[in-house]
Amino acid sequence: MQDKEFDRLLKITRLRVSDEERVQIKRDFEQVMAYFDEISSVEASGEPAYHPVDVPGRLRDDTVKPFADAESLKKRSKTSNGYIVGPKL
Amino acid sequence: MTSYIEEFNGIEKPKDYYDDLFVQLEKLNDEYHAFNVINKDADCGFLFGTKANICVKGFETDAGSKMLKGYAPSFNATAVERMLSDKRFAFAGVTGMDEFGFGTFGTNTEVPARNAFDKEYAAGGSSSGAAVAAALMKYHVSIAESTGGSIATPAALNGVVGFTPTYGSVSRYGLIDYANSLDKIGVMARSSEDARIVFDRIRGRDEYDTTCAVEKITSERRKKIFVINGMLEKADASIKTSFEKLLNRLGNAYEIEHVDSSMMEMAIAPYYIIAMAEASTNLAKYTGYKYGLMAEDFYKQYNEFFTDVRENFGMEAKRRILLGTFIRSASVKDKYYTKALVIRSMLIREMDRMLKEGYILSPTLPIKAPRIADVRKLSPVESYSMDLFTIPPNLGGFPHISFPYDYVDGMPLGAQLVTGHGNDYAILDFVKSWEEGFEYRYKTNLGEL
Amino acid sequence: MKIGLEVHVALPTRSKLFCSCSTEAAEPNSSICPICMGFPGSKPMLNRGAVEAAMGIANALHCPINRGISFVRKVYFYPDLPKSYQITQMEGAVGSNGYLAIGEKRIRIRRVQIEEDPAQIIRDGALTLIDFNRSGTPLVEIVTEPDISSEEEMRSFISSLRSMLYYLGVDINKEIKADVNISMAETRVEVKNVTGIKNMIETLRFEIERQTELIRAGEEIARETRGYNEKSKSTQTLREKESDEEYGYVFEPDLTVFDIAELKFNEPVYANDVAVGLANGTDVSPRTVSEIIMLDRDSLRQIERLRGRHSLRSIIHGIERYKKYGRAGRVADKVLDNIVLLIEEGKEVPKEAIVDLESGKEARVEYSQLSDEQLDELINKYLEENPALVREYVKQPKTINLIIENIARGNGLHPKEVARKLMPILAKVAEGK
Repeated sequence: MQDKEFDRLLKITRLRVSDEERVQIKRDFEQVMAYFDEISSVEASGEPAYHPVDVPGRLRDDTVKPFADAESLKKRSKTSNGYIVGPKL
Repeated sequence: MTSYIEEFNGIEKPKDYYDDLFVQLEKLNDEYHAFNVINKDADCGFLFGTKANICVKGFETDAGSKMLKGYAPSFNATAVERMLSDKRFAFAGVTGMDEFGFGTFGTNTEVPARNAFDKEYAAGGSSSGAAVAAALMKYHVSIAESTGGSIATPAALNGVVGFTPTYGSVSRYGLIDYANSLDKIGVMARSSEDARIVFDRIRGRDEYDTTCAVEKITSERRKKIFVINGMLEKADASIKTSFEKLLNRLGNAYEIEHVDSSMMEMAIAPYYIIAMAEASTNLAKYTGYKYGLMAEDFYKQYNEFFTDVRENFGMEAKRRILLGTFIRSASVKDKYYTKALVIRSMLIREMDRMLKEGYILSPTLPIKAPRIADVRKLSPVESYSMDLFTIPPNLGGFPHISFPYDYVDGMPLGAQLVTGHGNDYAILDFVKSWEEGFEYRYKTNLGEL
Repeated sequence: MKIGLEVHVALPTRSKLFCSCSTEAAEPNSSICPICMGFPGSKPMLNRGAVEAAMGIANALHCPINRGISFVRKVYFYPDLPKSYQITQMEGAVGSNGYLAIGEKRIRIRRVQIEEDPAQIIRDGALTLIDFNRSGTPLVEIVTEPDISSEEEMRSFISSLRSMLYYLGVDINKEIKADVNISMAETRVEVKNVTGIKNMIETLRFEIERQTELIRAGEEIARETRGYNEKSKSTQTLREKESDEEYGYVFEPDLTVFDIAELKFNEPVYANDVAVGLANGTDVSPRTVSEIIMLDRDSLRQIERLRGRHSLRSIIHGIERYKKYGRAGRVADKVLDNIVLLIEEGKEVPKEAIVDLESGKEARVEYSQLSDEQLDELINKYLEENPALVREYVKQPKTINLIIENIARGNGLHPKEVARKLMPILAKVAEGK
């Protein structure tokens, strides 16, 4: 794997690795991908199985049921006038 | 063998029973690290612990990750809610695990749990603490979770029953996702009967989980047992020897048939492809300004802010995010992700055919319990290969149960029995009759009455 | 020139797309739950109401409705996106391959998909403030093929679309938001998140000029994503956006393939077509009818109700009078009946008449009948008494309306009668001045 490609992946996943980690993960990455490439020898037939069992979809009625403890969802965040503070754009 | 739950509820407990129990448990836990959090204020009842990726309102549920330090959910997982609303049970605490479920041996977290039979040995993963808790305490069940073998593996290494039900029979609401199309909440216990009681308590439809769709559970006994040649070959010689003895014992009651299964033999790669692709999307949400590990430098531009926080993922998590993101990139998605999904449907077809006729039996692991120090030397691919037997039923969403069947050099060995979708009771029945002629061994029986 | 649009419209549901939180909330972060906040452990539950509304739209856009719909995760990082992926649709969209007719032309619709709205961001100095009330609100995205080829076509497309949505009960008070894709040459330039038709047109004008200029100068047009700035009425290059390669769409495994064949949805009304039908065989142009009914189902109902009894011209005239002077948002049947009757009797219907009718009284529209001589006399007398108004008229001919009104009202006369006689007299008087 090229450094350029590796850096692109780091960027889109918002990850940072140390120099040591970089060496190791890059090596592992190649090994694992080589392992994954084994599936190319399988002659695939049939539809993809998004779930292992049949999942008939159930739909929810359009009714409002407020969450009882909305306040608790904000308690760890920094807030300002009820707004949750996030990082700069 | 009886149910410990029924036994416990039939015995009068001494006045200080719970106080003493928790004092001892804390001491023991300092050695074995089964629990991340112990609920000393537990109500009276048969104790149950929950794997650290199953939300319990007000208790730190960190999924074994630094990224979720301090995450005390505002809601209970459906399984937890159903346990808590049953007076027979009381919440004991949160059990440790590999970060986000990423591990076969329980070592991918800050303080790994230790094997209940020997602290130098790996507890197995990723539901490591859950297995150790069940093996240390006489009256305790663990609510755990399996994606690719996270219940069966640690159950086998700690000599307890590890039951993974059919995908979609237990609600995943409140489960911190690893790979949503593979994750299954299950039970670890000292008897199949206890696993069944808890399974019946937590299973069934839930409006909060669309994929919780399997309602009907059967107990259709099979007369045949399939053993997959190509897979058994890959097990260590000592494992093979013990397993052959098990087959001999079962030979009286069942017809044993050795067969090949090309799909089961090659299930590891498609499993890890689907698991990592889904995991890499699930792990995107950890960005440090709403819950878990919190960052404070709001004047940093968001990309840098997120990258700073996300640096706290462990090594295996980083590896899986990167791999998972790569294999779902538009240009290679069909080659890996979509292909793996097709292979999954092929595997299900092949296993379904067999499972209509018989069970599939194998050792749970291809090796004996490894030392923690040796586990750390394994490369990722070597480590993933250890999931050889547990992956096919997990990838196919088939119910399976690991049960102890032998002890070698003082360490337990587990075997794994698989049956068809929805036939969960059959394998619980199987283990129940096995238990009649088998003596479980434990090093510790904390809470004994 | 090729223009393609990706139009976003909020669906009219009470609860959010994947949770039971209300879609209406006043206080910031008051209508939130673990699901729309993306807390670990939560899972989405699909709202039937949102699916039905989206099906109505897809059907109105002549898209064959997909029997099985499914969702995908679109992964990107931004502070308004709680899970760092948006649940949206691709192949499993509600509908695809449809069209919307604008006159003789069809603008092809590539896809109609359901997706969740991100949270709302408010900038407070350097701080980013986030309100998750909007997070998880159901949207449809309507993706067109690049079939629009002029500003005029874009305008009619949006206006037809708005009208169609209006008749399906989709709240159009909220402005239409769209991504506008414009290619003058080979390269496609995408302008993100333009709000409202006015800004869309400004965007288009700016881009046409900018791209034409670049082509003229022999320069390359960059394939890029731009943003529209309302103040400067211009577009600028936006932050780097992820591409499809990087979104890494995967099937949303917390949901499934939903069979929607049995769901019910509303049938569409195409106001332009309805207008043509109504105007047919009358002396009113389809355009006039269409202007009245495009965004007004009450007027359409009234026209359909009165059509058998009165001429279309009178009905429309009546509706217009009411719209100008009426009090209520919608006209009561009885009031309109009376207005139209008066019009058909050849009477003007002044404001007073409508006020009377609305309060249940007789309308003040009875006029004195005078002979031509009496009328001439009255007019001449008035003009003599009001020389200032005559002077004003010379400078500003519009003043005639005021003079007509004063004479008519002062003497209980019909304004038309007054006007008929006043004009030649006034012209003569003015000539003298």
